[in-house]
Amino acid sequence: MTPIIDAKNITKVFGASRSPHAARALNDVSVDVYPGETVGVVGESGSGKTTLARIMIGIESATKGQVYKDGHLLESRVDWRNLRLNVQYVFQDPFTALCPTMRIGAALAEPLSVHKKCPASERLGRVSEMLKKVGLHPDMARRLPVQLSGGQRQRVSLARALMLEPSVLICDEIVSGLDVSVQAQVLQLLVDLQKDLGISIVFISHDLRVIRYLCDRVYVMYKGEVVEQGKTGPIFENPSHQYTKNLLASIPGARHDKSTPVVQVTS
Amino acid sequence: MVDRVLNVEDMSVKYPGRGGLITVVDQVSLSVDAGKSLVIAGESGSGKSMICQALLGIVPGAGQVSGTRMDWRGKNLLELDEAGWRSVRGSEIAMVFQDPTAALNPLITVGSQIIDVIRTHRRCSRSEAKNRAIESLELAGFSEPAQQLRRYPSELSGGMRQRVAIALALCCEPSLIIADEATSNLDVSIQAKIVTLLHELKDKLGLALIFVTHDLGLASEIGGDLLVMYAGSMVEYGPVQSVLDNPSHPYTIGLLQSAPTLHSTRDNPLKPIPGQPPRPGTIGTGAPFVERCPVAVQGVCDRKRPTWTRVGAGHQVACHRFALDKEGGSL
Repeated sequence: MTPIIDAKNITKVFGASRSPHAARALNDVSVDVYPGETVGVVGESGSGKTTLARIMIGIESATKGQVYKDGHLLESRVDWRNLRLNVQYVFQDPFTALCPTMRIGAALAEPLSVHKKCPASERLGRVSEMLKKVGLHPDMARRLPVQLSGGQRQRVSLARALMLEPSVLICDEIVSGLDVSVQAQVLQLLVDLQKDLGISIVFISHDLRVIRYLCDRVYVMYKGEVVEQGKTGPIFENPSHQYTKNLLASIPGARHDKSTPVVQVTS
Repeated sequence: MVDRVLNVEDMSVKYPGRGGLITVVDQVSLSVDAGKSLVIAGESGSGKSMICQALLGIVPGAGQVSGTRMDWRGKNLLELDEAGWRSVRGSEIAMVFQDPTAALNPLITVGSQIIDVIRTHRRCSRSEAKNRAIESLELAGFSEPAQQLRRYPSELSGGMRQRVAIALALCCEPSLIIADEATSNLDVSIQAKIVTLLHELKDKLGLALIFVTHDLGLASEIGGDLLVMYAGSMVEYGPVQSVLDNPSHPYTIGLLQSAPTLHSTRDNPLKPIPGQPPRPGTIGTGAPFVERCPVAVQGVCDRKRPTWTRVGAGHQVACHRFALDKEGGSL
């Protein structure tokens, strides 16, 4: 099977590469994403997670290395533009990701008109359909972002990314700003959407508990390099790199965790 | 002998709104002993930050604080005037805020900021204040404290800035530190270091600590007592381990089931609490959680506010369902 996205030997240096101030954000990193799977990228701030994701979608260009889409090397601007029809990005902060003066309906319809996906008359129907899919009432289309809660806004961001029916969704820390109960709602939505639509998800997070819950495979990043990768279960049960071990040990409550949930609502 | 530094009974915070006062914090009672910690947990809007602000006399806007008692080491916080507050705030009770970047002045060196605080509260020379600043930076975990004095906040990483904020809180030797989501913006490994530091300070200096968080996993790391807040009301209160091992309020249970642990996978899905918390002023006469509660008793939970029921030693819950089950009475 060919991966949908295959980023090979990516190196990214910010600043002139010979300058003493050049910052090496990524060093020979390779990541691939297969159809229908959820890939986690985990690491601390500054480990290069977001830079990697931005290169995978072409917002940032790599200093060295190549990105392949379905086995084809992406070279021209047209290649990248076509990629972005298929790969969508959801940002961490839904407050800044949505235009404050644009009504939700218009924000959701915009990608359709930019990429000339469907006739204008059908857009409204597609918008209400998508709002329902992410668990919001179609009436929300008339509202402005300020009239929504954080969780609702993140649902709208997800809906907007899904408007073009992408095959890959890149989610950059999308639940970090949310309360636990809202976070659980959004995570559950992602699991359901993936089941319905069969999309692949690249899930970037610093929270190992969320990664463990959601991802099939995981890449652990440290200082611009992938230090460990593989299936989520084995990595969490038996980490081999010292950095992964440290990360796991510093999770709050790790020492007190119980392997089986003891809490049950009795009704 | 336990040294109870803070004892609060039935504290409320209200804001004037259309048609009367809107209650944001509803009759909260809590206490902290020297060298012990209290964790306040809850989601955005549950009133946890408002409690902290009320304890420092910095409730924003037209908020009104009332209560039966707010005793702070022999003083009644309810009766303090602005001058009285100035002698308590920052000096006896200090606060560490969530965002250290916003808490520090970007144009002034770390040293000057700490020295300014010391000289505001204590009568001393600049060099004495400087020595005191170095000491508090050392307490906050800097290995070369004297060299930090001339640095600007922008030269420091997030974790180091939070240590400076802790040094600022420590510099006047307070008896109570309130940390409001002080580690929420930090990476897990740095968060773990800050938590260890807070524990050391508590043991070494006999500090009392109020730690506000939305992360129940983190609450277990802090230890002490745990107060769970929902929509401005206390729903469960008790020793952290007792509450986490034996959560008795449906909201506490819901919070625990919503949060992924290191062992949760998609095969045993998270159970999000349905719906959203009520807006202030829209809570009826019943239990605040009734609208989202999976085990609400019709005709009871939506009518009257629950009172405290004992779960275990020092562990109480405000829930009609729990009380009814405990009595063994039929519904």
